Amino acid sequence: ANTLRLYLTCIRNTLEAAMCLQNFPCQEVERHNKPEIELKTGPELLLNPVLICRNEAEKCLIETSINSLRISLKVKQTDELENILTKKFLRFLSMRAEAFQVLRRKPVQGYDISFLITNYHCEEMQKQKLIDFIVQFMEDIDKEISELKLSVNTRGRLVATEFLKQFI
Amino acid sequence: MAGHAGFVEADNAEAIITRIEHKSRKIESLLKQYKPVEALKTALEGSPPKTRDERCKSANWIVVHRAIMAIKDVEGMFSSLDPEYYDILMKYLYRGLSTGDRPTCDQCLRIHEKLTERAGLGCILRSLSDTVNTV
Repeated sequence: ANTLRLYLTCIRNTLEAAMCLQNFPCQEVERHNKPEIELKTGPELLLNPVLICRNEAEKCLIETSINSLRISLKVKQTDELENILTKKFLRFLSMRAEAFQVLRRKPVQGYDISFLITNYHCEEMQKQKLIDFIVQFMEDIDKEISELKLSVNTRGRLVATEFLKQFI
Repeated sequence: MAGHAGFVEADNAEAIITRIEHKSRKIESLLKQYKPVEALKTALEGSPPKTRDERCKSANWIVVHRAIMAIKDVEGMFSSLDPEYYDILMKYLYRGLSTGDRPTCDQCLRIHEKLTERAGLGCILRSLSDTVNTV
């Protein structure tokens, strides 16, 4: 639990420093405004990507550019069941990315879920609240997945008991 | 100018690696004398910022890693470490965090928290934005 606190503090501090976004219209095409972290049109617009690992299984990749910031998370998955649950649950969330605004529809290759924060989000919403949201999300994900796993196991046990009663 | 830099690097790579080996011997002796802070200072001092050579950077990283893992008392370390080393220490901490190795990450996370308290967000931002002197 102590490493979790340190891990989240590190991510929070890095995000506070990295979330320095400003509007930057596209340099190549007139009247276009694209998130530079996704398109990577020029090396001068990008900062060093930072990978923060808690252990071999959990990590967080933070990539910043001049007008956008991408956070990719890999959630801890200890067994096959958690693997499937995580994939399904996060896919469910990603499909509803419109509602979340800062969520990305597809996670970056090698990660479970990704957030894309642009300068427009920073203008409309408070930076601190955005960071709180991301950190809260990371805390809640673990709880959600363990709750799901517990309910799946309970349901499985009940169903199996009922089914096998007929053979007694 | 890029060509000239290329030549300089080819000659210096060997020199730098020899220097790093000297440094690592010195650090081993400092660690034996239970002076982890001095060891860390020595490790951070001669960091070759201008080389593009991955081997020099990896060699230096190994040395710094050894010094970082040997530190037990983080608070005490900061009271004796000069502020000029904060930026370069932050860069090495992020390199440590990217390795994914559990004890390294634990140690780096611990030091990162204290270093941010000391040096502030500017230190993090300098390590993010410095694309020239990477570690």
